[in-house]
Amino acid sequence: MASNHNHPENDVAWFIVGDKLAVITTRGSDSSSVHSKSGDWKAIDEAVTNGVLIHYYAEPNTVDELSDYPDIDNAMHASIVDYVKSKLYIDRAGKTTDPNASGTAMNLAMVHEKQWRDALVKFGTRRRDKIGGQRAVRTFDLR
Amino acid sequence: MAVRRLTVKNIISRIRQTFPEAPDNYLYNLINDALLEAGLYRTKVEYAKATTVEDQMWYDLSDTGSSVDINKVFRVDFMDSAGDYIKTPRMLDGEILKMDIT
Repeated sequence: MASNHNHPENDVAWFIVGDKLAVITTRGSDSSSVHSKSGDWKAIDEAVTNGVLIHYYAEPNTVDELSDYPDIDNAMHASIVDYVKSKLYIDRAGKTTDPNASGTAMNLAMVHEKQWRDALVKFGTRRRDKIGGQRAVRTFDLR
Repeated sequence: MAVRRLTVKNIISRIRQTFPEAPDNYLYNLINDALLEAGLYRTKVEYAKATTVEDQMWYDLSDTGSSVDINKVFRVDFMDSAGDYIKTPRMLDGEILKMDIT
């Protein structure tokens, strides 16, 4: 069932506080009722089944089978090895009593940590996005 | 041409080259930690619909309270009178005069 809002872009808005989404509207009666008249922000004024479409960045699904594929772009799959190795090298550094072995393990942990960070943060956007090709240059219309 | 992807088995076999003694459960946990961290960097875009209730301002986005696992909302559309979803503006400060607790 459609809503009664002809132009929700003009009279509906949203904001987020913590884990809550607020859907508000300026539509209201024309009466002079205090803080409820048309133009005042207030709670959304009607029930609409599936009336809100939320676009969001989601958490990837977890894996629990050997045959599972990680739920992220395949360009990032090999980088997961770096993440896991960095943690395992830290564990190894903490377990060993040999200071040289511990130092070597920590260095290798840092190497893998950096590779993971670079893949995820430094080059991540460029690797994952699906945008490519030459950008158009549009000059001002001076007429 | 097939897409190059790694299964969990492939990932674990690479790790076992250096750490043959690492327990399976621990490796699963670490792989899932990696996925959770990767999810913080906008790797997966999803959509969900919610039903509004008359005069109800707040709708739950928490991982436990709703059925979806939301990291960051970047757009909210509202259905218009023709049944189409129309982009609505985000209020930046959220400081409206008449606040509701429901």
